[in-house]
Amino acid sequence: MKVLATYNIKGGVGKTSTAVNLAYLAAREGRRTLLWDLDPQAAATYLFRVRPRVKGGGHALVTRQRPIEAALKATDFDNLDLLPADFSYRNMDLELDDTKKRTRRLGQLLDSVAGEYDVVFLDCPPSISLVSENVMHASDTLLVPLIPATLSIRTLDQLTRFVADSQGSRPEVVAFFSMADRRKRLHREVIDAMARDRTRVADTVIPALSIIEQMAERRAPVPAFAPTSRAAQCYEQLWAEVCPR
Amino acid sequence: MISATRVLQAADDGPLELESIVQALSAQFAVSTGSKQLIRRRRLDTFDRRLRAAGLTLEHQITAPGERLVLGRADESTIVVPVKDLRWPALADVLPAGPVRDAIAPLIGIRALMVASDERRRLRRLELLNDDRKTVARVELDESASAAATPAQVTVARLRGYDDQARRADRLLAALGMRVVEVEQGVDQEPVSGATSGPDRGVPATVILSAALSDFLLTMRENLPGLLDDVDTEFLHDFRVAVRRTRATLKLGRPALSEVMRSRWEPAFKSLGDLTTPVRDLDVYELDLPTMSRWLMTAEPTDLDALAAHLRKKRMVARRALVASLRSARFRQLIRQWGQELTGLVDAPQDTDREILSAGELTDQSISRAYRRVARGGALIRADSPAGQLHELRKRCKELRYALEVLAPLIDQGARRRVVADLKGLQDVLGRFQDTEVQRRAMRGFAEEMMSEGTSAGAVLAMGELIGHLDVEQDRARREFDAAFARLQRPSSLQLMGRLGGGR
Repeated sequence: MKVLATYNIKGGVGKTSTAVNLAYLAAREGRRTLLWDLDPQAAATYLFRVRPRVKGGGHALVTRQRPIEAALKATDFDNLDLLPADFSYRNMDLELDDTKKRTRRLGQLLDSVAGEYDVVFLDCPPSISLVSENVMHASDTLLVPLIPATLSIRTLDQLTRFVADSQGSRPEVVAFFSMADRRKRLHREVIDAMARDRTRVADTVIPALSIIEQMAERRAPVPAFAPTSRAAQCYEQLWAEVCPR
Repeated sequence: MISATRVLQAADDGPLELESIVQALSAQFAVSTGSKQLIRRRRLDTFDRRLRAAGLTLEHQITAPGERLVLGRADESTIVVPVKDLRWPALADVLPAGPVRDAIAPLIGIRALMVASDERRRLRRLELLNDDRKTVARVELDESASAAATPAQVTVARLRGYDDQARRADRLLAALGMRVVEVEQGVDQEPVSGATSGPDRGVPATVILSAALSDFLLTMRENLPGLLDDVDTEFLHDFRVAVRRTRATLKLGRPALSEVMRSRWEPAFKSLGDLTTPVRDLDVYELDLPTMSRWLMTAEPTDLDALAAHLRKKRMVARRALVASLRSARFRQLIRQWGQELTGLVDAPQDTDREILSAGELTDQSISRAYRRVARGGALIRADSPAGQLHELRKRCKELRYALEVLAPLIDQGARRRVVADLKGLQDVLGRFQDTEVQRRAMRGFAEEMMSEGTSAGAVLAMGELIGHLDVEQDRARREFDAAFARLQRPSSLQLMGRLGGGR
């Protein structure tokens, strides 16, 4: 089982869109796929039309009062399940803080479904917190969407340092540009100037396209409702770059 | 993912009305009705049903929008993979890389996937939706599209985390008078076993011999089409094993069988076995090539490409001859007459000057004789014994092994299993010794043939390395012989043999 997390300290950069679309593509090619919506805003859960509720909340999951399997929901797509968000996840840091091996608990929870899935996506809330530390330890790959702006590069540097400073196994950090608009000079300059040697940066750029915004309206992944669209092709290219072999 | 499915059909096996089903389900769900689709479902498995034995089902589904493979697992979950233009029979390497191939390939090994059943169905999918327009259960109205197919059915697929909704759908359909039917695991039948189950030691020996020989004949007949079509190499292998077992059974059954078995049928099956040997030997070389390429120390694996091509060419020629023989009127007559011979075996009058031998008596005599031959042959092996002497001992071991298998229903199972384990150890050592002996000689022969055809020095040098490795392997097997034979001769094994009749 390979774990990929879409993560950025900043919000509104395309984490959820990426997690939802890549999870759909992984499942479409036959991989048994799970998406865990860790963000209490529950955007990924909403996009899959699942109710954002986990019986017993984050507390029951983290303390293992309820097995993770009991909270899983099938999506409308073959091979793709969702572990929904719950508003109580806003307190997940506190829940994790009360556990033994507090930075490893999410990874331990995922171990219990390791035999059932080939790929797990973690859609993370925008913060640096105990949840983030858990995500670092649980993930094989950290997918970092970046809006092409100067501050984004700074954020990536912060994140790279954070990963480098963390104890134990560290995920591979793969950044990619998201919501890019080639018509904007700044976007073009940032994308072209990005020092590719500072960390791995995917060749694929996800453009700012209205069809991606339509996901919220259609409540489905882009490749499901617009399979030949440019956005779908971009996500397919990105998946081809980052998918575990 | 789908966590389970339930199949229902009308109580009177009559037709299913879409309208009434939708109306019933609409009481609790929004129902999205898909268009009618013609679907072709090909259930796949190996000839020896390895997927079924592992609790897996694999379906190649073909519909107008596309094709897909659906792997069903023992826990009732499924994996669906889109595919294109798959043709059967085929080996696992045609499956797309991913979880389906990962699950199937280790199970089927070198066996081909074949179509075990093939049906065309008219299908209409209904999505049961909740208030968020989320699918919470799937219902498939599955109407027969061919006269031979099963009655119209409704399948309710439970989606993970939505079990309650699927149960509600079940109840609504049950209220329409539908009943749950068993989910068929496949339409293919269990292989018929001709082996006797627990016969009386007092029955005539011909009864148990006839049952075993009929079983082997059935195996030959079952494997013949796959062998002729070259579906995979195991068809020929299993055919040969059945022939070999037939020969061994005829030999051990001599005291109970008529003279014609010895004078006619023993040579006939020897000829049949010999006929199949060249292709099987070449199959083994081809199958072993990937392993052999890992033995190379200085040569490159690609240096063996010429050998692979040479083997393929030789196999094609040998197979053509084999197929011609197996399609001949002579072979068909042989098999037909052998079937008739077996039918008459139990009822045939015994030689008047011979008492009717019971199954128990034959068991004691033949296991005892087969074991004595192994013990005597093994004791004669010295450090300088020629390879041929070890080969003879290997044949005696096979005879003992077949006797223990054919007569298994009449002997102590626990003792048999433990003796067979020791015997297998000895057979493994002798097998490796003999195989390397044959392979070394064959490799030299191939090299000479290839050189006369102008093959590269690299290919010949690589084959030289293989011969060197085979030498080492043969020496190793030879060194292991004494310990393997001693295990069969230790007091506890002798005691077990005594319980099986071998101590007499």
